[in-house]
Amino acid sequence: MTEAIKVKSLYFGYGDNHVLKDINFTIKKGDFVSIIGPNGSGKSTLLKNIANILKPEKGIIEVDGKNIIDYSVKELAKKIALVPQDTHIAYEFNVFDIVLMGRNPYLKRFERETDKDFQIAKESLKLTDTLHLKDKGINNISGGERQRVIISRALAQQPKILLLDEPTSHLDINHQIDILSLLQKLNKEKEMTIVVVIHDINLAARFSNKIILLNKGEVLSIGNPKEVINYNNLENTYNLDMIITDNPYTNSPYIIPLTSKEKNNYRKINKKVHVICGGGTGGEVLNKLDLFGYRFSVGVINIGDSDWQLGKKLSAELIEEMPFTGITDKAYKKNVATMEKSDVVVLTSVPYGKGNFKNLEAAYKALEKGKPVYLIDNYQKYKRFDYVNGKAKKILDDMKKKGLKLVNSVDELLLMLKKHV
Amino acid sequence: MKVDKSFISRKRWNVVLILLVLLLLLSISFFATMGSADITLNETIKIVSSKLPFINKYVDKSSIPDSHQFIILKLRIPRVLLGVLVGAALSCVGAAFQGMFKNPMADPYIIGISSGAALGASLIIITGLNATIFGIRSVSLGAFIGAIASTFIVYVISRVKKRVPITVLLLSGIAVGQFFTAIMSFLMVLHSNDLTRIIFWTLGSFSGKGWNELLPIILPVFFSIVVLNFFARDLNVMLTGEESAQNMGIDVEKIKILILIICALITAMAVSVSGIIGFVGLIVPHIVRLIVGPDHRILIPASALFGGIFMIFADTIARTIIAPTEIPVGIITSLFGGPFFIYLLRKKKRSV
Repeated sequence: MTEAIKVKSLYFGYGDNHVLKDINFTIKKGDFVSIIGPNGSGKSTLLKNIANILKPEKGIIEVDGKNIIDYSVKELAKKIALVPQDTHIAYEFNVFDIVLMGRNPYLKRFERETDKDFQIAKESLKLTDTLHLKDKGINNISGGERQRVIISRALAQQPKILLLDEPTSHLDINHQIDILSLLQKLNKEKEMTIVVVIHDINLAARFSNKIILLNKGEVLSIGNPKEVINYNNLENTYNLDMIITDNPYTNSPYIIPLTSKEKNNYRKINKKVHVICGGGTGGEVLNKLDLFGYRFSVGVINIGDSDWQLGKKLSAELIEEMPFTGITDKAYKKNVATMEKSDVVVLTSVPYGKGNFKNLEAAYKALEKGKPVYLIDNYQKYKRFDYVNGKAKKILDDMKKKGLKLVNSVDELLLMLKKHV
Repeated sequence: MKVDKSFISRKRWNVVLILLVLLLLLSISFFATMGSADITLNETIKIVSSKLPFINKYVDKSSIPDSHQFIILKLRIPRVLLGVLVGAALSCVGAAFQGMFKNPMADPYIIGISSGAALGASLIIITGLNATIFGIRSVSLGAFIGAIASTFIVYVISRVKKRVPITVLLLSGIAVGQFFTAIMSFLMVLHSNDLTRIIFWTLGSFSGKGWNELLPIILPVFFSIVVLNFFARDLNVMLTGEESAQNMGIDVEKIKILILIICALITAMAVSVSGIIGFVGLIVPHIVRLIVGPDHRILIPASALFGGIFMIFADTIARTIIAPTEIPVGIITSLFGGPFFIYLLRKKKRSV
């Protein structure tokens, strides 16, 4: 028996509208599952159905091979523990009493807690590193500490499966990582099956081995993070343009949200801007040009560069060059030609080396032909931007004399661009 | 031996309860002694002891005048015991409701019981049905029926898909209560000659109450209080949220209904004999919580004992402060309760 939870054609609804529609999936023992999806997609509802807090309209939920409605409330509480979203507690119980409440399923009505229960509560506190808080009032500790204490209470139930409803949503980034690392530890060391509803897709991808993506009450995708986190699944679900890369530090998919797909607020502007950037210096300007409705081209840019990815994503015209290759004459000429067709040329504060120096030369050429050229000047931030023995600095100085316009920020640039419209 | 702070405080629970029982016994003797007739504490104890099995052989009460014996046994003792019973009833229901509603402002009357009882009593007073059925006065019966009826109506209104959401229960309690109060006020306008009786009844008093009122309710109330204590741990867990409680192995909806029924019965019986005595059920659990903490396993029994003591203290003031005139005890409890309520409000505001 390797299945911890099995959900078969589950429907849940209030009245006529279905919050969950035909949900099917299996969670294996020892899985770390994240349930993701936009607000209102039914994530918490699904979790509460599994915890038998909400009763499904139709469908079957099995825990450990047995339908949850065949469990007594106490028996189920020994299998599944839930950490709810709202951990506020009305009266001033101390931490130890709260954790001891997790022993409730093991106690008969007239039974008092035994030494064993005290011992288990204590060990649960130790596991979450909160034993030192045991005599404090539950409302006198921080949000991160309280979350840990509530997890301890769940652990005192000695469950096989731990369900958590947005355990990180009210926490600082360091506490978010703390909580998820703790869950990972429980998952690995105690072989506990973890099911967590979470908003942060990147954290979900990083910590879980399985992701369930819900949209409008249906399972849109299920599988390991790399199977679920892709443009096809996410962009329509969240109605958002985004970039999906690999997080190089954790080897998990990583998404960077861009703008909402509903950007009709800004009229398309029939002006073209050519941007010379690279190495991520073009991120903000490309994004904002797109947002405010400009047409734009990017070049010359190496394939695989992060600005190349973004340009591709925003369907900009790209003058490309092979990865890690200097600009060839062919690309250079194409770049010059593209600039001629543009109304404005924008330079970001990209460092210049042998590979991309020709871009600066092309810009100089455009300036000489009377094109307005702007430099978003953030060079003072760098120790050094010239890796071509002063040639870049010299060209820029010459350009300044010939009318290169300096702006300090992308927002300032956009103000200036308005004049050209 | 490892030392656990919370474990020690659990061990002290029994000490707290024993102390409260002793204090209650002392209070009963002391407050029964106080009054216009010149009776000493010593006499009171002797008179009471003479009626108890086993000890009565050792008590010599020959020196005590018969009138004193009459006052103590027929007037003071039943009245004091009634006070203890009603005080205990209201206080432990208050404690249970504050836990179940997760609301420190909850009291036994929060779901409209008082308005229902008052309307029932008013109807009997107005119609002049001054009968006695099985030794129970018709006004009491009317109040009891009114209380149970209002609870039932509130419960039916609040029931949504086999569940009784706490907020709906609270709000419909307020709505039904206001509605009943409005009917009662209307009746009072129409029957202005009964106005004084109705007002005095709603203020709550033990004046003229004795064995006749005490005997029918003493066992049911006592056992209901005992049964309420069986749900103490469920109440603890439910305080952490109903969904959490469900997940910690508590059948929340079932427990809620059981507690509601028990509490409604206790309150209805108390109100039927005493009228609406305010604030006891609200402030006693708070005072006790300050001393013993929020755990219902100690909070409910300690509230019951302390509520009994507090009630006979208030009633003694009510009947002695401007003797021979008695003021309704509800006025005394509200005089204490009002300022304390404000104190709680302020304290809560500061902590937010």
